[in-house]
Amino acid sequence: MTMVKALFYLMGFITIASALFVAASKSLVRGVFMFFVTLLSLAGLYVLALADFVAITQIVIYVGGILVLILFAFMLSGKETLANLQQQKDRFISISKLLALLLAVLFFIVLINILFKADINNLSWANKAASYKTDIRPDSPMTSNIGTNLMTTYLLPFEAISILLTMALIGAAHLSRKEKNA
Amino acid sequence: MIGLSDFLIVGAGLFCVGLYIILTKHNAIQVLIGIEMMLNAAILNLVAFGKYDRFYNGGQMFALFAIVLAAATTAVALAIILNVYKKYKTIDPDQIHELKD
Amino acid sequence: MENFLQAIDSLTIRFALAAVLLPLLAFVVNVCLPGKNNKVAGWISTLAILTSAVFSVFVFSKVWNQHQVHQQQLWFTIGETKVYAGILLNNLSVLMLLLVSLIALPVHIYSTAYMKKDESSKRYFAYLSFFCFSMLALVVIDNLILFYIFWELVGFSSYLLIGFWFTRSKAVLANKKAFIMNRIGDIGLLVAIAILFSVYHTFDIDQLFGANALVRSTTFELPGGWQFVAFGGIALAVAAKSAQFPLHTWLPDAMEGPTSVSALIHAATMVAAGVFLLGRVYPVFTEVELTILVIIGAFTAFMAATIALTQNDLKRILAYSTISQLGFMVMAMGIGAYSSSLFHLATHAFFKCLLFLVAGIVIHEMQHVKEEYDLDIDPQNVLYMGGLGKKMPLTFITALIGGIALIGLPLTSGYLSKDGILIQAFEWSEGKPVLYRLIPIGAMLTSWLTAFYVTRLIVKVFFGEFKLAQINPGIKLHISDGGWQYKLPLVFLAACCLFPLFSLNPFLYEHAWLLNGFPKITGLDRVNIYHTIVPAGLNILSLFVIYWAYAVYVMQKALPFPEGGWLFRVSYHEWYIDKIYSKIIIGPVLALSKSARWSDVNIIDGFLHLLQRIGIAFSKVADWTDRYIIDGFLHLIASIVLGIGNFARSFQGGKVQYYLFSMLAIILAIFLFKILI
Repeated sequence: MTMVKALFYLMGFITIASALFVAASKSLVRGVFMFFVTLLSLAGLYVLALADFVAITQIVIYVGGILVLILFAFMLSGKETLANLQQQKDRFISISKLLALLLAVLFFIVLINILFKADINNLSWANKAASYKTDIRPDSPMTSNIGTNLMTTYLLPFEAISILLTMALIGAAHLSRKEKNA
Repeated sequence: MIGLSDFLIVGAGLFCVGLYIILTKHNAIQVLIGIEMMLNAAILNLVAFGKYDRFYNGGQMFALFAIVLAAATTAVALAIILNVYKKYKTIDPDQIHELKD
Repeated sequence: MENFLQAIDSLTIRFALAAVLLPLLAFVVNVCLPGKNNKVAGWISTLAILTSAVFSVFVFSKVWNQHQVHQQQLWFTIGETKVYAGILLNNLSVLMLLLVSLIALPVHIYSTAYMKKDESSKRYFAYLSFFCFSMLALVVIDNLILFYIFWELVGFSSYLLIGFWFTRSKAVLANKKAFIMNRIGDIGLLVAIAILFSVYHTFDIDQLFGANALVRSTTFELPGGWQFVAFGGIALAVAAKSAQFPLHTWLPDAMEGPTSVSALIHAATMVAAGVFLLGRVYPVFTEVELTILVIIGAFTAFMAATIALTQNDLKRILAYSTISQLGFMVMAMGIGAYSSSLFHLATHAFFKCLLFLVAGIVIHEMQHVKEEYDLDIDPQNVLYMGGLGKKMPLTFITALIGGIALIGLPLTSGYLSKDGILIQAFEWSEGKPVLYRLIPIGAMLTSWLTAFYVTRLIVKVFFGEFKLAQINPGIKLHISDGGWQYKLPLVFLAACCLFPLFSLNPFLYEHAWLLNGFPKITGLDRVNIYHTIVPAGLNILSLFVIYWAYAVYVMQKALPFPEGGWLFRVSYHEWYIDKIYSKIIIGPVLALSKSARWSDVNIIDGFLHLLQRIGIAFSKVADWTDRYIIDGFLHLIASIVLGIGNFARSFQGGKVQYYLFSMLAIILAIFLFKILI
């Protein structure tokens, strides 16, 4: 049990636990804040997967952008809206929840099954990459790699994404305008 | 060393929790959070597989794009939720079950 | 000559048949007449009985003391036994035939006036004719079965006539009592007939009891006890019909019927049927049985005479007098004075009928007074009468004659018959143990008692002052003798009470022509001294008794027996016999019927109710099954369908999460399918 492995297990546990908390909590606010924790621990997992730039991007955009946006969206909506949002039905165990739980569990089982059937740890091309030393090492410089790839290999998706962002910006702004006769 | 399967197991778990959240929550914003969770699980998968490609770095690149797309999605979704609330005075997906005015 | 005799015989038979059947014809015609109060009915009945009487005279003249006429025909055959039915005319039959029709004739004439104002007179005459037919048929029949049938019919006619005014509860009670007591006697007679048939295998009266009597010649094949049972049956029948102790209580109550009915049936004819039966079956009795008959007769005579002393109802006094005289007749049969008994029967018929008709007239007049002045009295009570002799002279004289005949003073027919019985009673007790002397002495005592109560009766009714006028001043009597329909029967009957009809010698009973018709019974040797002492002593003392009664009731001298004393009370309450019967017999029978009714209502009906409740319980169970199980099954199916419908509806409900769920479920199913197979 190396330090890395222990850290991975900790991160993994925190991720799953907070995700479960989000699933189980009736209150929206608590769910959002635990989602914070999930995303942060996910960032830690990215780091352990030797994707440090993705981790930082995750924190900046996901946590700092998306989640804050969600928080602002319902906290600044007014008291009666909040009251409405806070209202939850009281049934803890109902038939639909049970069925959904069953579905989720079954899905998990299916996924794990396929994982082990496909023998993920011994993928041929992964082993080849490891033997040819073309996989990412902990001491590989990632940021420059990403920057270079972004401008050469993945230029088209880069441009497309920027157009998309623009569209989203305009669309969201238009959608949430105040009506004149409201 | 952390094997590939460990990451994938965590990702599968996250995905399933997100699935559960989507199916059972009576609040549209919580459903949105569930969607985000599923997206995050997919991104974790991408990052985990991307370790074996140093040259083109497809995994991490795609992860970045996905994160951006998730942000756009969330923004638009929130705007839609706002509009739905204005019309139906509730954001319970069970109550919004009719198409016509 | 033979043919001539046979022709005469057949004529006699035809006349006898006509005499019997004419009243039946009158009955049928009366029933078919319209209306309830038809005047013609009375005259039809009277005409019928008059013709019967004429025919009876002819038949009597042809058969009396000549050869008997007996004709019969085959009635039916059972197996080997042939049963014949026909007419037997011997001395006894024709005497009774003549007697009955001669008594019935004045009663019919009297009834036409007596029942004139009654609203159902047609029914009355129909019943009266029916009775005459039954009685006449009874005396001429030769077959024991038919005898029994007519015996019952006579009892039935008596029932109909006693309860003639059936709206009165007392009359209905009386006729029920009479019928039931007669029934007891009928059972006895039936048992006796059955025993006689089983021994001698014939029902023919002539064969059994006639000249070559089977009952004397052949031995009695059954054990000795059965002969006693047969005697017991006959004694029971005689006691019931002729009102002997202990079956005598119906006769005083039978006075509820019209008085003319009492005169005919309960004085002269029907009650004499018992004595007639004794006469018919006389050869069957043994010495012991005859002694028993003597005891019954003597006791009844004495008892009835003591009761008659204190009664206040006019007709009841006469009823008890009848019982007493019938006791005399039965006693006479027992001691062997066969012919004297029948002689007394004949004379008694005349004077008792006369006395009853007189009573009827008196009661009728008292009823008029009651209605005229709107009083609340019993018209039959002698305490309210008195002094009527001045107003109704003819009635008074005929009543006197009848009374004297009943007492048995010389120059009347009653003297001849009664003294004959008494003398022969003394002769019978001769040579027997001293205890047997009680019988004739008791009979003499009874005669003196008879004298007393008859005098009391006549004096209370006809002498003295009108008592009712003393209680209610202002009542005037406007009564008189009545029309020829009342006078003629009275005169006729009074004439028959005097001696010339029966004997030319007023003092010696042996000269009566009636006695020559019947065989002398051996065992009664003539003891000369009795023939003078008994009549002399009897009659002289009777005269004293008469004077004493006159003194008590007219001149108001005191009685030695106080009115509150126990002797008086026992006599007044008729020796409490009715009360004893009510407690011993009627009480248990009513209790039995109550318990039978209880069992019927609770057990039998209770069982039916139980079945009913079981049926209802079953139907309730079936109802529950139908409602909960059968209908419940249907409801279950309906609710299953409803549930499935509700479930299926949710797939189109418009809820996004449900759609998502179903899509994922299908994908999962595909994955699982891929994994598992």
